[in-house]
Amino acid sequence: MGKTLKYTLLSSLLCLSAFSCTSIKEEFQPVFSGNENPPHQQVVTMTPTHTIAELASLYKTGSPWKIDKNIVISGIVSTTDQPGNFYKSFYIQDETGGMEIKIGKNGLYNDYLPGQRIYVDCRELCLGMYGYKSGTAYGNGMVQIGFSDPTGEYETSYLESSLLIDSHVFKGEIGPEVEPVVVPESSLPASTATQATSHYVGKLVTVKNLTYGWYDTRYKEQNEAFALLYLNSNQNKKLSSNRIFISGAGTGINTWAMSKEKMAEYLYSGVWDEVSIGNANDYNYGKVGDYRNVDAQGKVSYPGIEKAAASVSHYFSTPNGTCIQVRTSGFSKFADKAIPESVLNGSAKVEVTGILALYQGKIQMVVNDISDIKVVE
Amino acid sequence: MMKRLILFLCSLCALCLSASAYDGGIKAKVVARQGRAPIAGAVVSLYSGQDLLSSQKTGAEGDFLFPDLKDGAYTLEVEADDYNSTRINVVVEQGLIRDLMFVTLSPARVRTEDVDASSFAEFDLDDSGYSDAPTILYGANDVYTDVVGYGFSAIRFKNRGYNSESQDVYLAGVPMNDAITGYSPYSLWSGLNEAMRAKDTSIGLEGSDWGNGRYNGMTNITALPSAVRPGWRFSVLSNSALYRLRLMATYASGELDNGWSYAVNASARLGGNDWVEGVYYRSFALYAGVGKRINDEHKISLMAFATPGQRGAQNASTQEVYDLMGDNMYNSNWGYQNGKVRNSRVRKTFEPVVALRYDYTPSDEFSAGATILYRCGYNGYTALDWYDAMDPRPDYYRNLPSYYYLEDEDYNRSNPEKAEWAKYAWTNHSKEFANYQHLNWDRLYNVNYNNPNGRSKYALEERRVDQRDLNLALNLKWLPTEAFNLKAGANFKVNRTENYKLLNDLLGGQYYLNIDSFAERDFASNEALVQNDLDYFLANGKAESITQGGKYGYDYLAQIRRANLWANGTYRKGGFVATLAGTVGYEAFWRDGLVRKGLFAGLDDNGKEIVYEGRTLTSYDDNGKVITSKGKSELSSFLTYSAKLGLAYELIGGHRFSANIGYFNDAPTFNQAFISARTRNTLVDGLTTVKTTSADVNYQFTNGGYSLRLTGFYTGIKDQSDVMSFYDDSQQSFTNFAMTGIDQRHLGLEFGVKVPLFVQGLSLSAVLSLGEYVYTSNPNMVQTIDNSAEVIRSESVPYWKSHPVYKVASYTDEGAAIYDQDAAGNYIVESEKKHYVPSTPQLASAIELNYRTNDYWFFELGGQYFAHSYLDMNPLYRTHLACGGGDGVETPAEVEYMAAQEEFNPAFVLNCSVGKSWQIQRKYYLGFSLEVNNMLNNRNIKTGGYEQTRLISSYGKDRYYRFDPKYFYMQGANYMLNIYFRF
Repeated sequence: MGKTLKYTLLSSLLCLSAFSCTSIKEEFQPVFSGNENPPHQQVVTMTPTHTIAELASLYKTGSPWKIDKNIVISGIVSTTDQPGNFYKSFYIQDETGGMEIKIGKNGLYNDYLPGQRIYVDCRELCLGMYGYKSGTAYGNGMVQIGFSDPTGEYETSYLESSLLIDSHVFKGEIGPEVEPVVVPESSLPASTATQATSHYVGKLVTVKNLTYGWYDTRYKEQNEAFALLYLNSNQNKKLSSNRIFISGAGTGINTWAMSKEKMAEYLYSGVWDEVSIGNANDYNYGKVGDYRNVDAQGKVSYPGIEKAAASVSHYFSTPNGTCIQVRTSGFSKFADKAIPESVLNGSAKVEVTGILALYQGKIQMVVNDISDIKVVE
Repeated sequence: MMKRLILFLCSLCALCLSASAYDGGIKAKVVARQGRAPIAGAVVSLYSGQDLLSSQKTGAEGDFLFPDLKDGAYTLEVEADDYNSTRINVVVEQGLIRDLMFVTLSPARVRTEDVDASSFAEFDLDDSGYSDAPTILYGANDVYTDVVGYGFSAIRFKNRGYNSESQDVYLAGVPMNDAITGYSPYSLWSGLNEAMRAKDTSIGLEGSDWGNGRYNGMTNITALPSAVRPGWRFSVLSNSALYRLRLMATYASGELDNGWSYAVNASARLGGNDWVEGVYYRSFALYAGVGKRINDEHKISLMAFATPGQRGAQNASTQEVYDLMGDNMYNSNWGYQNGKVRNSRVRKTFEPVVALRYDYTPSDEFSAGATILYRCGYNGYTALDWYDAMDPRPDYYRNLPSYYYLEDEDYNRSNPEKAEWAKYAWTNHSKEFANYQHLNWDRLYNVNYNNPNGRSKYALEERRVDQRDLNLALNLKWLPTEAFNLKAGANFKVNRTENYKLLNDLLGGQYYLNIDSFAERDFASNEALVQNDLDYFLANGKAESITQGGKYGYDYLAQIRRANLWANGTYRKGGFVATLAGTVGYEAFWRDGLVRKGLFAGLDDNGKEIVYEGRTLTSYDDNGKVITSKGKSELSSFLTYSAKLGLAYELIGGHRFSANIGYFNDAPTFNQAFISARTRNTLVDGLTTVKTTSADVNYQFTNGGYSLRLTGFYTGIKDQSDVMSFYDDSQQSFTNFAMTGIDQRHLGLEFGVKVPLFVQGLSLSAVLSLGEYVYTSNPNMVQTIDNSAEVIRSESVPYWKSHPVYKVASYTDEGAAIYDQDAAGNYIVESEKKHYVPSTPQLASAIELNYRTNDYWFFELGGQYFAHSYLDMNPLYRTHLACGGGDGVETPAEVEYMAAQEEFNPAFVLNCSVGKSWQIQRKYYLGFSLEVNNMLNNRNIKTGGYEQTRLISSYGKDRYYRFDPKYFYMQGANYMLNIYFRF
């Protein structure tokens, strides 16, 4: 008995100590409860090979370029997605221009702080344009950095994959936020401009003296606001039968954009009842008002029209009649902020600070926050 | 019982005068305590003082006779395999043969003397998404429960397919099932195996001395200090499946001559395991009890116990993630912080229980008792919380290759290059890629460091469920005649449970803002609506800043009141036993919101609507009732009752036939009664009691080492309800799903047999559980938007209990089915495919070879086979909406794809164990047991999981695809070694 006992004890002790060898402490403290804060991340320094303008000049209209050269650009983050008007991307700018980096994650301002220097190693990424439309009435969109899009639907796609981002977008020192520069009307970019030809494009700028509304001399109509709604976003958004364009003058929209709640409020008010459903050349699907339903208690509903947040472009004019759109996302925190009556009726002008962008040849200002729109009485 | 017998005999002794006749004797029948089955082959030894006079084995009927004894005091020692041995003092007087009638033996609760390896697992199942309950507790001497109770825990076997909450667990006579969820609360005493070892267990529909139970067995854990095995006991246990080390010490005095009894049991469970990184224990347990018997009639016991500590939890992932990691045990809950492993999901509990028990035994015919039990403390579960920042979970679907590319073009995931980047990040297992495969704590801290004013964007929340649970249980036992006994009692429960979130760790920041990030998705532009605490916001003009340890998010009380009266009577005549049991009760509950949430502001304290910046915050439901988050909800109350009838017939030779039938009308639980208890007072519409009808028939045979049981059972459960909350892609919103009228049917067989083999000490056991547990109704569901309480859908779930299989006309070249249509163009349904109650094998079987030697070695080798286990279904995939796709047109292909239920592959598991105990100097006992489970190291056995509720819209938006389900797997080969020492 004695022997067996000894062997058993011995082998059990061996068993126990076999794993103890690695580290007793690790075995019994297998996890750590976080009482020790990790260090601050190190920032990197790199040497850019190209300015933003130089990079933009390598873009040829209609041909997204999958970058196969060693190109490093550098710039300061000029936007924030915190108020929600920028989404999934940010702009960086150097002296020559600004460019959107299509990261594809939300809450970017947490990782890429406004004022932080960013280096982008562009090899393997894709240089492309968003918002180009041919024709004399239209023109360029914006040259951006993203990833290739094999579907061809867009010239670039978002980077999205974390490893892809981290191996191409590097974080440098955090400095003061970008100061906007004032763009004189005469320096506003033409519809054919890019960062390569105008050093204001893609940068944080201020445009002054803007009056609400823009008269389109070509189509001879007054433009005030524009929004695209869908009857059902679960269905094909490209179908004409699924689209409602709210545009022109008298749209009833008096907020910078509309949250889901606000959109329902506009819809129920009946102000869009006369709007036709469908694309401009295909008004074959009735009117918004056809969906109006009032129950016995007088409760109004529009079954079949989805309530959803919507982005709105408001049209402004410079003193010489150049169109400046202020585009605001329905998901931004200031979407439902009312545009002051004095602005809507033209008695007050606004001064807008935002990214100077082109969309189909027209100037779009995209603001970081509502405080970037100043009313000048 | 035994003690009373001894007392009785001692008193006889005092009366007796010594005589000198030699024709006296002792006879009796040795029977099992439960069912009074005769025990054949028991060894009965007769002592006079310390001297062994004679020894014999009992006959087939358990009978023995020691003839030719002179008058005097004797001691009988009775020992039998699988039973606890017992000693009895007997006095022979006046030359008569003392007929003791019955000597009852209680079954040994462990498989071999002093191996507590088995009881180890019953209380220590980790909480990887499961409720913390063993499959079934050890029953009486029953092969089936013996094998199944412990051996099937790794596969997460649910006995007869029942949920854990159907298992009634009592402690010192008090029903302990959780007041909110109904779950059996084993975690309250896990690690206190010694103190909680003594228990009465019944299976199926059987009742007990402590209550009537329901249909899934009933266990009363004695928990009294006097019931803890006397002596000192120390054990060291190491295992590779859950935690590395358990240290346990126990001392119990037994009942001392002065009537006092003491018991202490303490343990520590520490460390990680071999299979799942991040899962660990740092749990302690302490039990202390003191009891005093006062002049035979009164006995008072006071016990207190608690199991403070923390455990890291495991998480399920999709097969894609497991395959990328090359490991089905991958756990997405942890990551590196400063190079060290940190788990984000930690259960932190300290829930002390104090109980005072009074037993009153005025006579052998009548006894009564009462217990007051109070449970308090906290139960926390940490999780990452974040606001307006990237989802930090490593296995978030947008981090996976499948999000970027899938071969089927219809998924519209068409960027193979990006998928390669994602795949590279997952499949390179060097340290520099660890942050893509696990949580990146360092990044979370850095985000917080960099936020202006020290606002944390990532934080660790702790979801607290803090119970105050006061119970009173009364019970009495009346045995007026041998033929009839009556047991009755009453239970009362008052439960107040506060549910809230605590800020556990700001992760390097200074404060966290108390706003609802889900509400902000819809109401970003309405600051008041996104407030978690609107009153604070209105008073201070800004959201509250929460610092470490602060309450935030939600805060409400669950209030529950419950009272039950029960009685059961047993009538015996010859071998016939009939038991009739009845229970009647009342249950009421309500929610009491402690904070006003912006989304459901309700009316202010003066009954007026609440308005902020011109927008009315007060909202109403379709019936015009105010939807409110603060204050008391409507009271839900239910009359509950149950009735049971049991009949049994025992034949000589160890045969027993029995049949039970019962009907139960139970209240729904609190956690199934509110559409979204986190946010508002709204009750599920059409809430009603759960009605269960259950019956079983049994045949048992025990004789000469053979043991067998065969049971057939049927249970129909009607009108269950369930609530869940999830993100619905078709609504682009977080929604609540309330289901009512869920019916299911459990039909099956249980079989267990133990056969002694040709070598002494060798036996073979086999068990089989074969059932069909199916859903039998298409429940009603009401889907509401969590942010607005707007009802968006109220209909039945058409493919819940089954889905149609359509007739196929032919196949395309690509292998796609072309479905046959009738003349009217309708698809032809060929059959219906049933949907099953999930997460347990409907066929479970085991065969075990058991060998024990006379010098206390034991060896066991067992094989288990499991089949017909199904994945838990989410109701969304069984709706017309999900089967119809964006165009709303349901095709056979869509229905057969979307509504189908996954069946897991069958599994075979091989286990073995060995053990030995030694007696040292007749005083000390040393022993060990070593178990190796899953010896074939099979790492592909799914034990459970769940379907995600997300939908992927097809390229043409005409149909939906599912997200991949998430699974849990059984661990590979693992060992457990237990060494103990007692005296």
